[in-house]
Amino acid sequence: MPSEFPMHDPQNVWQNQPTEPFKMSTNEIRSKVQQRQKKARLEALFSITTGLMICFFFAWTFARSHGVLPRLGLGLLSLCGLNFAYQAYRWIWPGRLRPDATVSTSLKFYRSELERRRDYGMHIWVRGGLTFCFLGLAMIVLPEVIRSLRSARLLLNVLPVLVVLAIWFAIFLPTRKRKLRKLQQEIDELRGFEREAQS
Amino acid sequence: MSATESVSGGDVGQDSLYKQATDTYGASLDRLARAYEFDPEARRDLLQDIHLHLWRSFAHFDQRCSTRTWVYRVAHNVATGHVIRQRRISSRLVSVESIEALPDSEQGELAASQNEALERLSMLIQRLKPLDRQIIVSYLEGMDASSIGEITGLSPANIAMKIHRTKNVLRRWFGQGGLHAE
Repeated sequence: MPSEFPMHDPQNVWQNQPTEPFKMSTNEIRSKVQQRQKKARLEALFSITTGLMICFFFAWTFARSHGVLPRLGLGLLSLCGLNFAYQAYRWIWPGRLRPDATVSTSLKFYRSELERRRDYGMHIWVRGGLTFCFLGLAMIVLPEVIRSLRSARLLLNVLPVLVVLAIWFAIFLPTRKRKLRKLQQEIDELRGFEREAQS
Repeated sequence: MSATESVSGGDVGQDSLYKQATDTYGASLDRLARAYEFDPEARRDLLQDIHLHLWRSFAHFDQRCSTRTWVYRVAHNVATGHVIRQRRISSRLVSVESIEALPDSEQGELAASQNEALERLSMLIQRLKPLDRQIIVSYLEGMDASSIGEITGLSPANIAMKIHRTKNVLRRWFGQGGLHAE
């Protein structure tokens, strides 16, 4: 039986709240959807192109350089660029969720996306290619460092690179740890929601 | 035609399906967006997102469920995704703007009571987990247990229990605010 006072009946309150009509026409919606797809494609292309440019740049430098060690380093960096392009391709086109999926399916979908991200973060040194990137850099820089050890003045030239590297590590490692912890927290939360949706 | 019936059938196109669905459920979608997003600006974005996804989804509509079930599933999915993404950015906090956007309780008595009731209801809904949120919104929209089951994918027994709890929570919340229970 409806309440004597309409505002005391939650269903009544909810259904009689003021609403605004949605003003976009189907043509506007279509063009907006196309715009979004175009934007997503452009972002994907930008990341992939960046990776390929890095790859070609180091490959070009590789062809022009001399010495086995620097060439190996440049080759590795070129491969890192290729890996970056591939990872961008993989991340920008994630799995698609069925539009009419039920709540447990959609929660599972979001959880698996977060798990993919977490796994990538956890294995960034190998799967992300960061180890090879640093190895490549070391192969290029180390001969110079060894040469500079003979003269303190030359060592000063290499110092800024080492400082930047140290700062990067000091920021990167705790940030990565914090991100992974947050991701894990979200995954656990979603897992909890999923359990409820399945029970 | 009642709102519970399918709004379309046969070989109607994506645009036509979308148009019919929004004509019938437009106001419900607006309310659904309110259940997921308190901030008016973000709510407009969410509503637009729901409409864009809904339009796109009708390209895959296979008539295996009613249009209403389809519309609500799509809308809840988009809104749940929105909540999950937002949470990553802002955790569980609400912005000052959101608090500012709350209706002033100093307004006329009847209006203030209605607004207050709605405000309390919205605040309650936004505290809930995704599944409970879907259930309470569907219940408030006046759906029966089987319709809610179709949308959420839960068993009728589970839905019945959830609705029972939802009613209890609503009764308690409305009682606490000085408003009588149902």
